[in-house]
Amino acid sequence: MASIEPMKQFLVHEVVHIDPIVVPGLGAINMSITNSVLAMMIGALIIVALLGSAARGQLVPGRMQAFGEALYNLIDGTLVGPMIGDKGRPYIPFIFSIFMMVLVLNMMGLVFAIGNLGGQEWTFTATAQLAVTATLALITFLSVVVIGFVKNGFKFFKLFAPGGVPWPMLIFLVPIEIISFMVRPLTLSMRLFGNMIGGHVVMNIFATFVVMLAVLGMSGGIATLGWLGAGVSFFMVVALTALEFIVAFLQAFVFAALACVYLNDVVNLDSHGH
Amino acid sequence: MDLHSARMIGAGLATMGLIGAGVGLGVLFSGYLQGALRNPSAAPGAQPMLFLGLALTEALGIFALVMAFIILFV
Amino acid sequence: MATSPANTTATTAPPEQGSGGLPQFDLPTWPGQMIWFLIIFGVVLLLMSRWFVPKIGGAINEREDKIAGDIGSARKLKEEAEAQAAAAAEETRQARARAQKVASEAKARAAAELAARQAAEDAKLAESLAAADVAIKAARDQAMANVRTIAADTASSIVEKLTGEAPAAKEVEAALVGNA
Repeated sequence: MASIEPMKQFLVHEVVHIDPIVVPGLGAINMSITNSVLAMMIGALIIVALLGSAARGQLVPGRMQAFGEALYNLIDGTLVGPMIGDKGRPYIPFIFSIFMMVLVLNMMGLVFAIGNLGGQEWTFTATAQLAVTATLALITFLSVVVIGFVKNGFKFFKLFAPGGVPWPMLIFLVPIEIISFMVRPLTLSMRLFGNMIGGHVVMNIFATFVVMLAVLGMSGGIATLGWLGAGVSFFMVVALTALEFIVAFLQAFVFAALACVYLNDVVNLDSHGH
Repeated sequence: MDLHSARMIGAGLATMGLIGAGVGLGVLFSGYLQGALRNPSAAPGAQPMLFLGLALTEALGIFALVMAFIILFV
Repeated sequence: MATSPANTTATTAPPEQGSGGLPQFDLPTWPGQMIWFLIIFGVVLLLMSRWFVPKIGGAINEREDKIAGDIGSARKLKEEAEAQAAAAAEETRQARARAQKVASEAKARAAAELAARQAAEDAKLAESLAAADVAIKAARDQAMANVRTIAADTASSIVEKLTGEAPAAKEVEAALVGNA
């Protein structure tokens, strides 16, 4: 009888062993290619293949180019343009990279969700690894800080003191603003991680129900009703898969949108409210 | 009560945070739909903000879910 | 294969599974994933900023420019055509005005000629009318004169029948004048 092991799909194990690199002060870092790293590499290859075939630069776009341009327009026309404005144009590659990386890694967890086939675990969602989402969130956060300092110098700290506020209020407001700024990487990483792990765990639990209830149904008698439960669970898995596709896209969109919002804070620091 | 059952109960209680996220999402989409049905021409412009609000609202519920997982499995 | 055999054998309850819980919180796997992710993200970002975004964005901009240019040239052609149409309309208008002027001149000339000829005819007519008037007057005078003679004759004959003798012509004449 199958048992519920919803967390097994997130296990990281080595695929190709590479000797640990010893960094002074940090100790040995295991640089082996794990299934997580493999998923990232495949994801990057998919991005390169997808956008490489889209980047033809023809006047009349083919199918792939139209697809790539639709993605580009999503970033340029929906996120960067309205949220940052013309000053945001140099950051399109950054936002686009974040979006594509999150989108492809999310999607890989669903499209390749065939589980265990031929003794090999195929399903792996790199964005359900807190290490990955935290790295992505830190990249975004540090980019915002660095761009803020490069563009505004020490006026960057005006970000924590909203304009038009009487100074006694600032005593309370500044710590709140600083805290809300500092928890950004936490919320960014936790949102993506939580969405991915939550969706996959729920899907896994329902998929396990299908097998468990079907096995129960085989034992005959009143337990035959187990088939009904298995059917309902199977329908739930199908519905959840559809929902997870939406979530996978939405989380990529939202990650990119929040990166835009945070960049807008520092890029347009002197030209709006703060 | 042993640790195992306490964990189960705690994880169950922690998922209650999702109630708030559910209510929040309902309020969010009802507001969007009311606005969109009254002025359909302005609806596309509000969509990025809708998804942003969805993410921010949902994130709080997801934190509760992550807490539940952490209580349950760590 | 450091962790996986140990994990796959532990297939009992979830809390006992894995190295003490959520695989994501297995900290020794973090540094490798983070560094690999940084490398891969850097590669993607580099390709994105050097290749994909300039190419895709460039194609979109080029197309927009081309469409805008085509629309602009079409608009210019339309304006040219409109200007030509306006010039043609102006020419037609002038020609019509010229024709109108010619027609009105001709009409005026014809009217003047007509008036002149009419005046001449009128004069001729008036002349003959006057002549006729004179003739009629003469005829009437003559007729009137004859009437007097006839009246005198009639009167003298009536007197002759009544009295039996013919009156003197002078008397008749005087009676006629007195009655008249």
